[in-house]
Amino acid sequence: MPDHRIPLNPDALKLEPNGLASYPPVEKWDDWVEFDTAEWPRKVEKHCRILPTICFNCEAACGLVAVVEKDTNKIRRFEGNPEHPGSRGRNCAKGPATLNQVTDPERIRYPLKRVGKRGEGKWERVSWDEVLQDIAGRVRKALQEDRRNEIMYHVGRPGHELLYHQRVLHSWGIDGHNSHTNVCSAGARAGYAFWSGIDRPSPDHANARFILLLSSHLETGHYFNPHAQRIIEAKEAGTKIAVIDTRLSNTASKADYWMSTWPGSEAAILLAMCNVLLQEDLFDRDFLRHWVNWEEYLREEHSDKPQTFQTFVAVLKESYASFTPEFAAKEAGIEPGVMVEVAHEIAKAGSAFSAHVWRNTAAGNLGGWQVARALQFLVVLVGAVGTVGGTAPNAANKYIPAPPLMPPPSKVWNELLIPKEFPLAFFEMSFLLPHFIKEGRGKLAMYFTRVYNPVWTNPDGMSWIEMLSDESKVERHACLTPTWSETAWFADYVLPMGHASERHDLMSQETQAARWIGFRQPILRVALEKQGKKFATTYEAHEAAGIGQVWEEDEFWIELSWRVDPDGSLGIRKYFESPYEPGKKMTVDDYYRWIFENSVPGLPAAADKLGLTPLEYMRRYGAFLIEDNVYKVHEAALKSSDLADSSTDPNSKIVSKNGAVLGVEVDGKACVGFPTPSRKLEFFSKTIKDWKWPEHAIPGYIKSHVHPDNIDLAAGEMLLLPTFRLPTLIHTRSGNAKWLYEISNRNPLWLNSKDAQNFDVKTGDLLKVHTEIGYFIDKVWVTEGIKPGVIACSHHLGRWRLAEEQGGERWSTALVDLKQMGEGKWMMRTIHGIKPFKSDDPDSSRIFWQDGGVHQNLTFPVQPDFISGQHCWHQKVRITKPGPDDKYGDVFVDTNKSHEVYKKWLLKTRPAPGPDNLRRPYWLPRSYKPALEAYYFKKG
Amino acid sequence: MRYGFLIDQHRCIGCHACTVACKEEHNIAVGVNRTWVKYVEKGQYPDTRRHFAVLRCNHCDDAPCIEICPTVSLFRRPDGIVDFDNERCIGCKSCMQACPYDALYIDPERNTAAKCNFDASRVEMGYKPACEVVCPTQAILSGDLDDPTSTISKRVAMEKVSVRKAEKGTKPKLFYAGVDGDLLNPTMMEPQDTHFWADKDPGEDLYALKTKSADRPTPGTAREVYDVPHITPWGKKIASYLWTKSISTGVLLLSALLLNMGFEQDGILLSIFGPMVSLLFLAATMGLLVLDLKKPSRFIFLLTKPNLNSWLVLGGYVLMVFGLLLVAWLALIFNGGMLYPWLVWLTAMFAVASAGYSAFLFAQARGRDFWQSPMLFWHLIVQAFAAGAAFFILLRGIEALTPYALMSPAMFAWLNQALVIALFASLAMIFGDLFMKHGAEESVRAGELLLTGPLSKSFWLFVIGLGVVGPIILMLWPISSIVPNVIAAVLVLFGLWMYEHLWIKAGQAVPLS
Repeated sequence: MPDHRIPLNPDALKLEPNGLASYPPVEKWDDWVEFDTAEWPRKVEKHCRILPTICFNCEAACGLVAVVEKDTNKIRRFEGNPEHPGSRGRNCAKGPATLNQVTDPERIRYPLKRVGKRGEGKWERVSWDEVLQDIAGRVRKALQEDRRNEIMYHVGRPGHELLYHQRVLHSWGIDGHNSHTNVCSAGARAGYAFWSGIDRPSPDHANARFILLLSSHLETGHYFNPHAQRIIEAKEAGTKIAVIDTRLSNTASKADYWMSTWPGSEAAILLAMCNVLLQEDLFDRDFLRHWVNWEEYLREEHSDKPQTFQTFVAVLKESYASFTPEFAAKEAGIEPGVMVEVAHEIAKAGSAFSAHVWRNTAAGNLGGWQVARALQFLVVLVGAVGTVGGTAPNAANKYIPAPPLMPPPSKVWNELLIPKEFPLAFFEMSFLLPHFIKEGRGKLAMYFTRVYNPVWTNPDGMSWIEMLSDESKVERHACLTPTWSETAWFADYVLPMGHASERHDLMSQETQAARWIGFRQPILRVALEKQGKKFATTYEAHEAAGIGQVWEEDEFWIELSWRVDPDGSLGIRKYFESPYEPGKKMTVDDYYRWIFENSVPGLPAAADKLGLTPLEYMRRYGAFLIEDNVYKVHEAALKSSDLADSSTDPNSKIVSKNGAVLGVEVDGKACVGFPTPSRKLEFFSKTIKDWKWPEHAIPGYIKSHVHPDNIDLAAGEMLLLPTFRLPTLIHTRSGNAKWLYEISNRNPLWLNSKDAQNFDVKTGDLLKVHTEIGYFIDKVWVTEGIKPGVIACSHHLGRWRLAEEQGGERWSTALVDLKQMGEGKWMMRTIHGIKPFKSDDPDSSRIFWQDGGVHQNLTFPVQPDFISGQHCWHQKVRITKPGPDDKYGDVFVDTNKSHEVYKKWLLKTRPAPGPDNLRRPYWLPRSYKPALEAYYFKKG
Repeated sequence: MRYGFLIDQHRCIGCHACTVACKEEHNIAVGVNRTWVKYVEKGQYPDTRRHFAVLRCNHCDDAPCIEICPTVSLFRRPDGIVDFDNERCIGCKSCMQACPYDALYIDPERNTAAKCNFDASRVEMGYKPACEVVCPTQAILSGDLDDPTSTISKRVAMEKVSVRKAEKGTKPKLFYAGVDGDLLNPTMMEPQDTHFWADKDPGEDLYALKTKSADRPTPGTAREVYDVPHITPWGKKIASYLWTKSISTGVLLLSALLLNMGFEQDGILLSIFGPMVSLLFLAATMGLLVLDLKKPSRFIFLLTKPNLNSWLVLGGYVLMVFGLLLVAWLALIFNGGMLYPWLVWLTAMFAVASAGYSAFLFAQARGRDFWQSPMLFWHLIVQAFAAGAAFFILLRGIEALTPYALMSPAMFAWLNQALVIALFASLAMIFGDLFMKHGAEESVRAGELLLTGPLSKSFWLFVIGLGVVGPIILMLWPISSIVPNVIAAVLVLFGLWMYEHLWIKAGQAVPLS
């Protein structure tokens, strides 16, 4: 009812629109016309091109489209890609924030080389050619002199399927891939892998009837956005959600049940739930009988009893009888009733039970991998493996298209990655590298850090600074990064690699019960090429587009590998020759064209229908759904062609042919099964038993290093929970996302009001947090969202730089003074916090936040779990009031102490060799897996 | 056709994707937002929960911002979207006072007002707003509320939905499912002076937060744990404009009144000095108004692109006519002509109108309950009298330093009595307003800030003590010197300014969202 009194602006007298659409249809993407919002309500048309890519701000690989203005070739904005099966056109806050990251006035635009001493902060611009020549020379020399273990590539965020870079390192013949996984999800992955040989779950949330999360998937983690969409879909349809998390996350707030547990008690709770199902016979007997390796278990551990399924059930009931709800409740500090209620809900949901542990307790506690073992036990008990609404192993919902020319695996084993102390480690013992180097276990002739900031993200960053500063131990350090970071400061080369819209990558993630691939492409290069321009490299295209010589890794590795072996005599070059023109150097187009033509089922046909080549199809749509509704892959029947000439072992029922295992016979049917030694779900892990841990061979409860027994609350000790994430930030590279930083920029200490009373502090007061190797000083946030006895402090925040105008994004870093007070004794003090600064972006003068948080990770000693290798993040701390000389943001670390703690934790391990003089069980997943011969210790 | 939103807080996970997508769509500066997500926590551990509310313009069917905008910069489209044209905006910020929802802000790049415009440029082409499209859980739904078959109409009809501040009569078109009451109403929330992952913007006025809060939060009360900055729009210039206007109108009113009462011996003062002072202070008043604009050069739009429903415009015209009348009066006097009695009456009437119209303007500022008092009109008149009388007394003090003697003792005595009466009247009105708890909770809270809260020291000492009680005592003191009276007059003027200053502050100090 328009009010005649309300005046209409002359511009307001316009035609009325009809029902509103969500996304511009793909047919219009080549010539998309929209009105310039800056000129509105004057209608100024902008002619644009819409090009798809993949977000780079976490591993979820959500689809994005870039809207590119045709006349200026500038990216106006990023929106969701409606063609992407995982993200379905929607994104989290970090998606649109990509625009900040690519238009940051302070971004690194050219390769930089250090001038002066490492860490001095002086840089000069160099050419890519010079960089490549130097690095190629070093790598070549190391390979020729058989110093293969001195070349290491250390990655934080891959942003692509690991296989594609495995191609590179295996062509060089090295065991050189290091990662961040064991400060991240290694604990949970180990637990899952011991069960099924596959290290991640793929929960089918959308169809679940009950969801149990030991994660905060409504705000972060793999795979936040796509999972959050489906969790809420289920919730709206009536599905109940339980969250086990010590602190009140946003996810816990949306749950029907929030169990705020004492960290480390979660396995006890899960096993108590298993116990309820067992005692009340609410489990799926058929599934257990068919798919769990109970026969092997009874054979190994209960050979004195009748080898029947009934025996197994009886043994289960007896084994877990001590996990009463009361026991678990006492360990956790929660009410027992809720556990029973949740267990009953899970039983009701039956096979439509989806569950996920990502980091959470598995990343914080000693024995955290048992949490995943226990959680998966719940899933197995109700038969929800790979079912509709259940929890599948991730490989079922992922597809990695094979690349051309895959080299054979390397024949070397790098003990800096998987040392003898950690034969079962999940992913490399990355965070121990400074300590290994300190002990003289090796040195690095060429070290690449790639979208990886160990100085900041890892525990014990000062040890990293010490290692990186030592040119005799790390001879050359190239930092491949889109932004400045605390680690880049200690590099020899800072090499700008592209962001979401500036590179090629191929990704596939288990976001739902389907298989899809997503394709990342350099938007400005593609836009310019559509206008008829041609470029040999992406960095030349970027220079033409006005963003400097930002490059992409695919081309970098091709070029580098070519220069390492220009005449092919090392056997490397052939892997970088074009599959279409042998002898000629491969281009990225060649590479992806080959993959899309040969390795993606259904893609050539789909492209053909539209009159496109497969590569054109992927450049146009950015994603392809290979298969939908993928369930129960383990039950897939073996092909009759495979079954011909195969044999089935009468005891284990394993089907093999020519020495290769194909599957397992279940109830008379030959199925694919699981990639474990038994081809079944390993309730009992013979591997764990054989590798010297018989007491942990079945799902159990390992008391955490921060169990209440170890914490004397009366003496001012508390448990520091330092791992929780924010929905708006991502580690290092959100540091220049101004729209994210203005929302969240500091990390106070979450303190329950009871503890605040005990310490006589209120919000804003300072506290001094002492760890085993140092201390930090932070402000208090009094809250009802954390358990008494636990103090929580968010990750992401506490960024710093060592020079006023360089070395760190000024949107997010404090200027600090860092000096050694004595051998190994480091003191960091804030000179000033975040301040407005002048730049080409007027917003940098409008910065209104001053506090960038405190870098707590520096004060954490390394605490590797003796089985999974996961760094146990939780710290036992002592809390005191700060002294008169203490200031907010102070950090002190003694690296001598951190080395002592490292040695102490190593004593907990039971080193290799295992059976057959192996370094590690061969069947256990290992990224960039070396050849079998490398798995053996050399005799003598 | 009426476009509106349904925001389903059951679905919302508080991820801020909408906040950032909107920033990107409109290249919004850091520090201001068209849409944002507020976080509140309730409960005592372990029964604590965090809740989210997505807040922005409600595209009201009876939009107070459109009513008050002087230049039709804010306007309603035929499809019900409340849009704006930053080429017309003069940056007066009255829309920010009219809106009860914190929806508007000043764009620091253009220095004009801006707010959510439903992405009208996308709607124009048939596409949904950016916030709706990005939301991972599809918590934002746009649609035509006049179409009963649209999804939004069906949901609004069949679900329990709520709106923000329905009692304001703005007829908001943004409906919330899954959140209400304490989560949408800031007066039901416990104030916090910092956030759990950010500090507050140092530019924010946090008077409303400096109240006592319990050591242990009360279990049921909502505590704000994250919000975006909300900057107070009006400051000392507006307070000063009220003050200079009081002096201008009061001096003229008293001049006219005393002329008609037969104070011929003070003819020079009353028919020349009075109107001259009035004109001078009127110029200052209008100057302050223009200077307070974020786009001062655009003040001419009040004449070329006016919204005749806005009291900013109508008041501006009243001030202009008052000015013209003063000029006419002075022109007549200086040309040796006679001062027509009707001119004196007319000018006096426009003086009253000039003094009191602000009440109508503040009444249109529907976001600020504290300024909605019906007593405001009369109080402004009384203040004008007080200011005028005080100023004349001050002139007498200045005159005493010169060899001239323009003011008769009779006039001086009359002025003193008039001032005392005006002060008593003003005091009664202030107390009537503040002590009688009337109107909305926000109004009561603003009053509390003055009576007992963080502004109370200034209020009691400067406004009441030095501004009213002190002067009354000084003027009633039986002493033949004019000195205490002149001191009293200075104190009155000071107190009047402090009152305006605190009144402007208090009105804006209570959070809108």
